[in-house]
Amino acid sequence: MSLYALQKVIRDINRNPESRERFVSTPEALLAGYELSAAERAALVGRDYGALYRMGVHGLLLRPFSIMHSVAEKDYLAAIQAEGS
Amino acid sequence: MTISYACAMGHAPGITAWRDAAPADQRGRLYAAFERLGAELAAAQPDVLVLFTSEHWANFFLDHISPYCIGRAEQYHGPIEPWLKIERQRLQGDPQLAEAIVDACYRHDIEPGFSYELQLDHGTMVPLHFLLPQMNLPIVPIFINTLAPPQPTARRALALGQVVGEVARSWPQRVGIIATGGMSHDPGERGHGTIDTAFDQAFLDHLVRGDLQQLAKYTPDDFSAAGAGAVELLSWIALAGALQRFRGEVAAYEPVRAWATGIGAMSFAILDQ
Repeated sequence: MSLYALQKVIRDINRNPESRERFVSTPEALLAGYELSAAERAALVGRDYGALYRMGVHGLLLRPFSIMHSVAEKDYLAAIQAEGS
Repeated sequence: MTISYACAMGHAPGITAWRDAAPADQRGRLYAAFERLGAELAAAQPDVLVLFTSEHWANFFLDHISPYCIGRAEQYHGPIEPWLKIERQRLQGDPQLAEAIVDACYRHDIEPGFSYELQLDHGTMVPLHFLLPQMNLPIVPIFINTLAPPQPTARRALALGQVVGEVARSWPQRVGIIATGGMSHDPGERGHGTIDTAFDQAFLDHLVRGDLQQLAKYTPDDFSAAGAGAVELLSWIALAGALQRFRGEVAAYEPVRAWATGIGAMSFAILDQ
């Protein structure tokens, strides 16, 4: 687990238009700049909000991150409220 | 001089960004209250505003967290959110008053962080949009860490506020003090949309009575039980510390599901200045 790096890249994507664009066009290249586990990388690239939430990402980072990708509130809540591994 | 005006209000981004998602009657009562507070502020003619406000990852990250950060900038820009439906603009700072507050804190054994560059997000810009629509007074923002535990206790927020109040009363200009944030809400978390009206009403009641002893009793667990964002009420507690002897008047309270927040608006009668 590298929750610090995971939250850092999400904040970067939320805050920085260039990173946001790279996350869409070449996500693996953007994420290579951060020390993330394979599971964290997969959750980010797959936009698995439930997995990211269960990894401990702060709600005020994760909800804006999902808004960037046009996720409706009810879909976001369903994802983070689901029980997962 | 005296503290020329004091009020507190919520800062949920939905207030402006998803304005029409709220039921018209709730929205109407809140907007009327916000505008009333703005009219009271204008009538009180402050020269400068101190704002106790919250951080939402706009300025700080886990690479460096301090309990409080006092803004010493010449100017500020905000909001950072392009979707907030508030035009991005520039506000003047007041580095002299900010320096006086920082110095007074250190003399009173409180050691806040400080910054010469801070971004303003909805936490500051939504209240100012209503309270200072012309954005034509200098501001000193004081950010309280409401993100990463551990966070200051209610007792320490009162102590910080008391120092700010003492500086404001001795300042040669008229100082207005504003608290933003709260009330119960769990933004982005599993309880997103949950509002604890009993918690909110009890908190407002303490402020109506000016009861510092009850405010001092709030614990981190009390706040977190009312949602991850309820700790933003440390701003209101700091304001109470600045005023010391006061009575609050609830201008409006509405649990707004569409904005996922219990929204309070309060003005204060300051006693014994």
